[in-house]
Amino acid sequence: MTTIETNPTAVPPVQPTRKRRQPRRKTAATVAWIIGIVLLTAVVLYPLLWMISASLKPSAEFGSNQSFLPENPTFDNFVKVMEGVAGIPTWRFFWNSTILGIGAVIGTVISSSMAAYAFARLDFKGRPLFFTMMIGTLLLPFHVLIIPQYIVFRNLGMVDTFLPLLVGKFLATEAFFVFLMVQFIRNLPKELDEAARIDGCGHWRIFWSITIPLIKPALITSSIFAFIWSWNDFLGPLLYLNSPENYPLPLALRVFNDQTSGSDYGATVAISVLALLPVMLFFIIFQRFLVAGVATQGLKG
Amino acid sequence: MFNKLSRRAGSGVAVTVAAALMLTACGGNGGGEAGGTPDPNEEVTLNFTWWGNEDRAERYNEAIALFEEENPNIDVNGTFMDFPAYWEKRQTEAAGGGLPDVMQFDYSYLRQYGQNGLLLDLTEYEGNGLTTDSIDETLLATGKLEDQTLAVPTGYNAWSLFENPAVIEQAGAEGYEGGTSWEDYDAYMASVTEASGGEVYGGTDYTGRIQNFELQLRQEGRELFTEEGEINFTQEELAEFWSSAQDVRDNATIPARQLEEVAPKSGFGANLTASEMTWSNFMGGYLADTGAEDLTILAPPTDDPSVKDLYQKPSMLHAVGAQTEHPEAAVAFVEFLINSPEVGEIFGATLGVPASETALEGAALEGPELEVKEYLDSVADRIGDPPAAPVVGYGALENTFLTLGTSIGLGAITPEDAAQQFFDEVAVTLGS
Repeated sequence: MTTIETNPTAVPPVQPTRKRRQPRRKTAATVAWIIGIVLLTAVVLYPLLWMISASLKPSAEFGSNQSFLPENPTFDNFVKVMEGVAGIPTWRFFWNSTILGIGAVIGTVISSSMAAYAFARLDFKGRPLFFTMMIGTLLLPFHVLIIPQYIVFRNLGMVDTFLPLLVGKFLATEAFFVFLMVQFIRNLPKELDEAARIDGCGHWRIFWSITIPLIKPALITSSIFAFIWSWNDFLGPLLYLNSPENYPLPLALRVFNDQTSGSDYGATVAISVLALLPVMLFFIIFQRFLVAGVATQGLKG
Repeated sequence: MFNKLSRRAGSGVAVTVAAALMLTACGGNGGGEAGGTPDPNEEVTLNFTWWGNEDRAERYNEAIALFEEENPNIDVNGTFMDFPAYWEKRQTEAAGGGLPDVMQFDYSYLRQYGQNGLLLDLTEYEGNGLTTDSIDETLLATGKLEDQTLAVPTGYNAWSLFENPAVIEQAGAEGYEGGTSWEDYDAYMASVTEASGGEVYGGTDYTGRIQNFELQLRQEGRELFTEEGEINFTQEELAEFWSSAQDVRDNATIPARQLEEVAPKSGFGANLTASEMTWSNFMGGYLADTGAEDLTILAPPTDDPSVKDLYQKPSMLHAVGAQTEHPEAAVAFVEFLINSPEVGEIFGATLGVPASETALEGAALEGPELEVKEYLDSVADRIGDPPAAPVVGYGALENTFLTLGTSIGLGAITPEDAAQQFFDEVAVTLGS
């Protein structure tokens, strides 16, 4: 190929046709690829694009205008949404969601990594039993917990505060994250810990200076999931928060769309678009670390 | 996976809670001594909750502010949600013993909560803190269960037929006069569809909604359920009801497929049909959905106008939690919400046409709301006693009815098979 291209004069008469045909076939294949990929992307992105386009439709167009594009594009929906609900400004809902999201990330990262270190590196009595019990909580259906948990938090007087939604995160109750990190820590060579111990490190120092930097990819994965779960969580805030001032976005979103007292579809879609942005930003920023983390992990062997 | 988890969690709550409700059934009945006005010196905080959109929230906030001004010692914490989530939350609270002091309540949940002793019996407060003479007796009876007054209706509505003059005009057809025979109504729907050349339709297949079946039964002097909560019609009658509209479905009404396309709006809300039967309080929602300036509200079809086939349905009620620590204050707040002319003025007819005379006077209805009130007055001769409070699980049955109606419309199932499925569901729900 390269020789043919760099030396066109030496080509026999038959070659030009083949030469011409070859790139053409290549172009055709590329074009087919691109079309295929674009089509697939379009299918995947269609709901998202629909949402953005629909957020520009006036409410009356929902149902009557079936086409993708709005007939009378307007930003009124966004203006209306930013005015807030019943005297509570919309930024308040974003702020509540952010507090809950960041709280969940901090709590999960700190508590789960410490629990994971203990399970993976400390030798204590009953460790296999406790580990099994922790995995067992993964199998426990969520519904079984709702009412007992509610009663506990109610008796503690924590209803209508963020505490019921955050306390668990600081106590490593998400077995999924603990398990993820345990597996990560188990894969780290024990020699690193032993070397540190010879240098006089205790568990705290080993955890902080050896383990934490090496399990960064697991920490980032956990952060992303903890944030997204918390951001999208509907049932938890629904059960534990009473005052509208404390509502996070998923609850506020529902208020625009009550079927029994008239729905503002335009406003619902508009606030959905706004609610999506932070979580997308969060993912885009942290996803880079995630990929980098996995890559370096692979090199370590 | 995670989406699925939370969705499953949602439906799971209902299941778990149904069991838990029974467990805690005996836990109710706290409350204090009977009657009287609240102690004006005691500092009291009431939790109050409702479902609805932001417009309703603003109105309630206004009403709460007014109440707090009149009763400086009472502090009301308002909280709101949309309808399905509202009941998920109530059920968890009921099981956990944390129901709010005052709740906006729905007719279809009254029996479930009332039977389990979760609502305060207001009987002893009647005429002693709570004025109920201002409310029509048959309507007031909808809040009663086995001689206990468990809830007080805020407002009422009745089954009705909406018509959109703009769509009629677009089709170039004649309007419906209302209250004529079912045959007439069928012919009217066909004429609109035909006149428009299939661009719009005369109406929606009315056999899809259980209320229309109820209406036809009541026109024969019967009810969907007996007083004891047993089903009161046969599988064959149901199959016959669904089959009866086959011709209309084929030629006159909007195809089920097209209805699916415009969901969550109805065909009427999307300006695709000229008429639809529903509760009279849909006026506001339909005006917003259609963007129309004016909608006509008419009497539903009947073969015999002298039969009392319609009834006043409480659009919503107010109830007090059985475990409230401040029953007097809670009752005072309910009294304020139900009877005060100021509250009538704040809400107009958005909670249904006010049930209480005093609130109705304050409301000074106008425009579309006045039309609804006038409609309700115009069918006064057709309004009879309301049916017994809906059976536990009525909401689920209503939904099954709707789904099966849609399936029939889509041609996915025959009316006979659908009736079979409905009765299977009834057997499970009513446990017979």
